[in-house]
Amino acid sequence: MKKTLIAAVLTVLFMVPATYSFALSVDQIVEKANIASYYGGDNGMAKVHMVITDRRGRTREREFTILRKDVKDGGDQLYYVYFHKPGDVRKLVFMVHKHVGKNDDRWLYLPALDLVKRIAASDKRTSFVGSNFLYEDVSGRSTKADTHTLKEETGDHWILDNIPRDPASVEFTHYLIWIDKKTYLVDKAEYYNAQGKVYRKMVAEEVKVIDGIPTVVKSRVEDLNSGGKTELTFSNIKYNIGIKDSIFTERYLRKPPRKFIRR
Amino acid sequence: MGHRITDFSIRHPKTVILMALIITALSLFRLNHVKVDTDPENMLDKNEWVRVFHNEVKQDFALSDMIVLGVVNEGDANGVFNPATLSKVYRITEGIKGIEGVVTQDIMALSTVDDIQQGGLGSVRFKYLMDGPVKTGDEALKIRDRAMANPLLYGTLVSEDGKALAIYIPIVEKKVANRVSKAVDALIAAEPKGEESYFVTGLPMAEDTFGIEMFHQMGISAPVAAMVIFLLMLFFFRKLILVIAPMGVAILTILITMGTLIATGNTVHIMSSMIPLFLMPIAVVNSVHIFSVFFDRYQIYKDREKTLKVVMKELFTPMLYTSLTTLVGFGSLMTAPIPPVQVFGGFVALGVFVAWLLTVTLIPAYIMLFLPESKLENFGAVIDEKSSKARSPLAELLIMSGSFTRRRATPILLVTAIVLGISIYGITLIRINDNPVKWFVKSHPIRIADTILNKHFGGTYEAYLIFEPPATPQTLHRELEPTIHFLDQEAQSTEPAMASIIATLKDRLAAREKGEAAAEKPNPINVLEGLSQDLDKTTADVPEDNVALWDEIDTLSAGLEDERTSLNTFKDPATLRYIAKLQKHLAADPVVGKTNGFTDIIKKVNMELLGGKTEELRIPDSPAMVAQASLLFQGSHNPDFIWHLVTPDYRRLNLWLQLKSGDNRDMESVVKDTEAYLKNNPPPVPLNHAWAGLTYLNVVWQDRMVRGMLMSLASSYVVVLLMMMFLFRSILWGILSMIPLTVTISFIYGASGLIGKDYDMVMAILSSMTLGMSIDFAIHYIERARELYNMTHSWPKVSEIMSMAPARAITRNAIVIAVGFLPLLLSSLTPYKSVGVLLATIMILSGVGTLLILPALIEKMQKHLFKRIKEDEETAVDIDPVSMTIRVESEER
Repeated sequence: MKKTLIAAVLTVLFMVPATYSFALSVDQIVEKANIASYYGGDNGMAKVHMVITDRRGRTREREFTILRKDVKDGGDQLYYVYFHKPGDVRKLVFMVHKHVGKNDDRWLYLPALDLVKRIAASDKRTSFVGSNFLYEDVSGRSTKADTHTLKEETGDHWILDNIPRDPASVEFTHYLIWIDKKTYLVDKAEYYNAQGKVYRKMVAEEVKVIDGIPTVVKSRVEDLNSGGKTELTFSNIKYNIGIKDSIFTERYLRKPPRKFIRR
Repeated sequence: MGHRITDFSIRHPKTVILMALIITALSLFRLNHVKVDTDPENMLDKNEWVRVFHNEVKQDFALSDMIVLGVVNEGDANGVFNPATLSKVYRITEGIKGIEGVVTQDIMALSTVDDIQQGGLGSVRFKYLMDGPVKTGDEALKIRDRAMANPLLYGTLVSEDGKALAIYIPIVEKKVANRVSKAVDALIAAEPKGEESYFVTGLPMAEDTFGIEMFHQMGISAPVAAMVIFLLMLFFFRKLILVIAPMGVAILTILITMGTLIATGNTVHIMSSMIPLFLMPIAVVNSVHIFSVFFDRYQIYKDREKTLKVVMKELFTPMLYTSLTTLVGFGSLMTAPIPPVQVFGGFVALGVFVAWLLTVTLIPAYIMLFLPESKLENFGAVIDEKSSKARSPLAELLIMSGSFTRRRATPILLVTAIVLGISIYGITLIRINDNPVKWFVKSHPIRIADTILNKHFGGTYEAYLIFEPPATPQTLHRELEPTIHFLDQEAQSTEPAMASIIATLKDRLAAREKGEAAAEKPNPINVLEGLSQDLDKTTADVPEDNVALWDEIDTLSAGLEDERTSLNTFKDPATLRYIAKLQKHLAADPVVGKTNGFTDIIKKVNMELLGGKTEELRIPDSPAMVAQASLLFQGSHNPDFIWHLVTPDYRRLNLWLQLKSGDNRDMESVVKDTEAYLKNNPPPVPLNHAWAGLTYLNVVWQDRMVRGMLMSLASSYVVVLLMMMFLFRSILWGILSMIPLTVTISFIYGASGLIGKDYDMVMAILSSMTLGMSIDFAIHYIERARELYNMTHSWPKVSEIMSMAPARAITRNAIVIAVGFLPLLLSSLTPYKSVGVLLATIMILSGVGTLLILPALIEKMQKHLFKRIKEDEETAVDIDPVSMTIRVESEER
């Protein structure tokens, strides 16, 4: 009886993932993971508390609200980032029109000068407001930018190795991602440098199901070179709240939508 | 006591030699534990304030020591800005990222820094200045023009003439500098050769490389010096078997001393690496005296034991005293406030003692064991001093000078006085200066790189000027007062829920202030950050739909945030403009090539935000705009660069000075200039400032060293004078004995002042050497002269005898040491060169001083000097000027 039970458990543990991997191609996994990580709902918002910790343990905090609307699942997206804290950047707004396959459009509203400025980004691998997160981490790296191979499959994860198609455009040689088999969220990512060492790590620390959508509510990036790390905590997460396209225009940079952003 | 030691050695030569060898072997048992330390930073104690501060600053701003790689092409109109060279530089930079020990994220190169520039349609663009191998000439020139238009990069990454570029390679610690630079060399060598040249320099590299070359030098210099000394002794004494003994004493002394140094866990530092060089002459000198006298006497007795006893009896006291004075000279260094100098002084003193002990035991034992009478048959001077035929030219000269000093005493003393006068004038011209890069000879690659790169760029020497507001419980309270006032005002709100929130906050503020006041550096930012968390906690239960209350809470929160911003000292435009003005002032200083500050980042971002017009290259008008410009800069590829120049709480600012020279006096002049400026231009808010950086540290320890050396020189001068008075039981003789060394020291430092040789580490150390060595000849001379006078009661006779054997011993010694150290002149390290020149000068001068000035002075002062003895006329003995051994002969009778 006992033996049968163990056998049954083992069968479940090993057989189920195996069938999954047979059922899905690597590209399908990547696509699903991309949708799960960056395209939850058609639109949504979250309040983000960011803590940047340097090598010496000194912290800098930022607080902002992100509004997002998908133009097309897996395709272009609109982002609106409104700063609450620190006080001297209060009302500062970053707006991003994310494009797949070409450079994003970015705008910046500087309240101190009441100035709207376009930021011409040459690549997406610059720091997001001084943190260890890059723009690409926040809005997602194009699935076409890398070639993906299934490196390993464990009970809970597909481990994918991703090699950039244009190595000159990035500072890593390849990176591994751990995709959760149930949620398709990326639980972990490790970036390798030219010497074959991991120099950067990203971890989804906590996942909650919100409005039926598995959502990362706490994530962390560590820079092993500088010893710095950044932690994001998401709160007040809402999906499908009817955010209009018009909010993602220059007009709203000076006048944040009161409906979503209290202060 | 003296003869007992000698008698024992004569009776048990085997035991003595065996014991010496055992002790040597024992001292060497931990030789494999050798720890090398070539870091001049260690010239300061680990707990020295300035060093603690320097390290704190490095930590606070994540600063690393840097090696600078410069790429120069002077032949081409566009310099290095062509596709071929830039592509090579790109690949080399990529290679550098992979070198172990390089702080990858802080490399400053064209391909690692961002350029902020105008994009299309009035946008700003962050872009790597060079984002890959360069394909066209236009592209290359565009990179140059962009870099030159960026005040952060101009003069730092691109030379002012636009022909050269530099890569700043931060390293994890100084110890890896040489290895990293070798790896960089390999990367360069792997590229095809072009018209451009590559240069690597920087203080950490100079310091680390010095340590490595120092060991090569030790491996070459010390043995070469030993070899030359050996050959000279062979020339003087003509017997190989005899000459081996002093060399043995020197080698055993060095082995025992260095072995003990290593075994006791001390590090071999730049200073202590020179111990063998210093011990070599000291160890040889006494043996040379013994052999010199033995050589002159042997033919009289034709008996080893008897001759030895006579020689040792004659020499024991002077040798003891010369060793003691040398010991005092070096021992006094232990009072200097510089740890490596203390170790150096202490162990040379130990070595002096070891050398003395080995000399008085080993030399007699050696003679008994290895020099059977048969071997000595033809040894020694053929005693016929009266016949000029047998005299060597040296002996002839010395005898002539002996009578010359008596006849021409007045002119000699007059010349001495003049020389002394000029020397004292020269001493007033002494320029105290040092620079670790200048420890290499001019033709060394590091020196060449240093010269070329500092010609092209803002400078390869770094100093950091740190500003911060004062931090005491009082300033903390003063800075928190506006916040307290703000809360008081808000408390007048009619809403009871709000009033209670504010009351809680006020309590928390008071508690947090109390806690923070106890910190080493009370920081009001910490209090306000805590308060912000307190507010979040206090309002956590307020329902989301209580819009009216939330509006009030938001106002309160915003107000507290504004209070926090006003505490960010270096977001304040007035303060930043003050710093920018100081930078402008410093830019006019010829030593300062360039300054880099947080101000420069803000000015540059401000300009590009406002359309790229140069009139907008300025500090914006509000703290919020400073903060927003700072945030924008952080959206680049290397956001952390900003934290090298200001701390995240904006309360500590680092002004990075690039200096064209690492000379301490140049650094000092910059410090002086800055201090004067800051005094005449007080900041808009209270600010403290302090210096850090390797170039500045060097100034501090140099200052310590000069003062320390001066103190120890003065104190050992007094101690030696007292010892001399005690030894000769006479104040006058004591003072007299100090004259040759006083003249020698004055002359050496006077001459260095006159010819403009910087008073550096080596010069400072050698002052104690001079003291210890140059008194020796005077002791030997006076001791012998007084003994002879006791016998002959006639100064003319004494003078005549003194010009024979004793003068020869002194001269032989001076020549052996002086010539022995001349090979050091071939060294590629200037400190070794200096030691060579100075040792030679010291030996010759104190020899000449003793043989000319002393007899001239005695001639003039003989009435006072010999007064007491003259009263016992009846003890006078007629002495044979040839053998001078009246006492032994009388014993025989």
